[in-house]
Amino acid sequence: MNTRSLFLVITACACAWPLSAQDKVPLNLELPKPLFVGTPRPIQLPNLEKPRSGPRPVLMVPAGTVLLSKGKTVTASDGFPVIGELAYVTDGEKTGADGTFVEFGPGVQWVQIDLGAPATISAIVVWHFHAQARVYHDVVVMVSDDPEFKKGVKTLFNNDTDNSSGAGAGKDPAYIETNEGRLIDAQGAKGRYVRLLSAGNTTDELNHYVEVEVFGKP
Amino acid sequence: MSDSTTPSNPTTRRDFLSAGAKLGAAVMASPYLVRAAAPAGTGGTQSLNIGLIGCGEQGRVLLNAALKIPDIRFKAVCDIWDYNRSYGEKLLKKYGHDVKPFEDYREMLSSTELDAVIVATPDWLHAEHTVAALKAGKHVYCEKLMSNTVEGARSMVKASRETGKLLQIGHQRRSNPRYIHVRDRLLREKKLLGRITNLNGQWNRAVSADLGWPERFTIPESKLNAFGYANMHEFRNWRWFKKYAGGPISDLGAHQIDIFNWMLGVNPSSVMAGGGADYYKNHEWYDNVMAIYEFPTSEGMVRGFYEVLTTTSAGGGYHEYFMGTEAALKMSENPKYTKLYREAQAPAWEPYVEQGLIKKPGAGEEGAAPASKPWEKEEKPKFTVAAPRTSVVDVRETAALSAWDIPVTLDKAIHQPHLENFFSGIRHNTPLSCPGEQGFASAVTVLKVNEAVAARRMLTFAPGDFVA
Repeated sequence: MNTRSLFLVITACACAWPLSAQDKVPLNLELPKPLFVGTPRPIQLPNLEKPRSGPRPVLMVPAGTVLLSKGKTVTASDGFPVIGELAYVTDGEKTGADGTFVEFGPGVQWVQIDLGAPATISAIVVWHFHAQARVYHDVVVMVSDDPEFKKGVKTLFNNDTDNSSGAGAGKDPAYIETNEGRLIDAQGAKGRYVRLLSAGNTTDELNHYVEVEVFGKP
Repeated sequence: MSDSTTPSNPTTRRDFLSAGAKLGAAVMASPYLVRAAAPAGTGGTQSLNIGLIGCGEQGRVLLNAALKIPDIRFKAVCDIWDYNRSYGEKLLKKYGHDVKPFEDYREMLSSTELDAVIVATPDWLHAEHTVAALKAGKHVYCEKLMSNTVEGARSMVKASRETGKLLQIGHQRRSNPRYIHVRDRLLREKKLLGRITNLNGQWNRAVSADLGWPERFTIPESKLNAFGYANMHEFRNWRWFKKYAGGPISDLGAHQIDIFNWMLGVNPSSVMAGGGADYYKNHEWYDNVMAIYEFPTSEGMVRGFYEVLTTTSAGGGYHEYFMGTEAALKMSENPKYTKLYREAQAPAWEPYVEQGLIKKPGAGEEGAAPASKPWEKEEKPKFTVAAPRTSVVDVRETAALSAWDIPVTLDKAIHQPHLENFFSGIRHNTPLSCPGEQGFASAVTVLKVNEAVAARRMLTFAPGDFVA
């Protein structure tokens, strides 16, 4: 067997090798097209992260990770959205144009996704509103088996530096909305419910969601 | 030119009388000088009942700005698209306004007790909606550009005169305290720029996809046709089609070309321009336009270049640049882009620093714009800028000008002061920042650019062109 033949055999074996539960694979996301309209307005916040150079690092997740949230039930602190419907949060429509986002009232508001059963969560991606370069204040992402989020709460992301939203102070950076959404490494957190908080944004006092995707294993 | 005004107040009546003499006699008959009848039983903070025609993107921007103003009660919203109408209605109800939705503006005007109407529909409907509202006895705040035709704009001024109702055009920079401070204190009172010789302005944007719409919100074509639109694509992207709008020079350029006229206190005498539908294949209007104006000021000719590009965001976003013999002023709604550049031979500026009119180089915000909206967190950034390790001097260039700052910034949404000025005009006879006559002059100035592009030669303005 020459070198070339040996290489082909190894490659074939590797391709056919079944992935174990411990194996990690890249999390592939379907991103909407950029939708920035208008001239971006520079934003000054104390904890705003610096612009990233280059593509977003790929998040490695356990093999067998799937999208858990598509079409799942959504509830919210504001039961009467200004525009849109709660179902838009998990409907898979991420373009961000008129008619694809839900807008909640001013102040601290939350949305919550019921995955239907406890799950091991690998990643959460949230698109608040990517038609304009803006920053949402006090973004907090939590998981729990308690629909009231009174016990067993694990916080996965929190950029509310002064605890003005009441979910505890966090050290994560504020970030500018883009078509990429915010990718949060859930690191295998377990829970049935995912709750996301925000408290207005740098354009207005309102709260928006185009889509939230929760990836993991049932 | 004008007397000084405080940074926080709109231009005084005296200023407008002075400016009016330069802008043409028509301004002297402006309805902003008419003592608008105050609503029955008015006091200093009498609530005003407001209706909104056009609940799209710009209508909602105005709603969000108006919601910050005390004693404003929205009573009605109108839009032919269910989606927009519902959006405006629910947004207002979220803030406690008892608002009624309408599809037909005529029904809204006839069935609702309103003191004023805000018009934020596509440009081609401004005249129809504004004239109807004025004739129904309402004061009107109408978005810029006043109209996509000179005749449409003229009909609005005439209706305002005939009815004695106020007409404010949405060139909101005129109510921005920083713009007022610069014009009245720095340029006119202190003549900080010396003799202004040239202008430069731009609004450049990257390419963007056309606006779409979810299938479930599609308006039946028969209904669109009844309201004058060819199809849903043109309805959503009306800014790009000649029937409905004036193109990017009107959408973007109008804001800044209006400021050329306002800062200088004169209208131009000529314009030449080039442009074309260079990139987008499914648009009618020019996506790139470059224009050169001549402004015959009392101190001599001022030449002004303006470009609006919708195929690149290069060149630093949007700003107006006023260049004189002793300094240059870069202005923008974004404080980050605003600087005063002093020529080496100019008189010392330190006295102006002591008077609080300007700030020394390096005293302003060098990073991003400061938080300028009440809902933004106010903590200052904790960062420092490292000094450059080496400096390089190119001896072929004039030495870099020192960059000074302006200590006046707007701490509200950018449209709020202009709306406040309008409401104050209704309540207290405050002179409007952009009455119909001056909005008309700006519309004439802007729309001529498209004519010049088509004619491929210099076109001249007669003084009478600016008189409605």
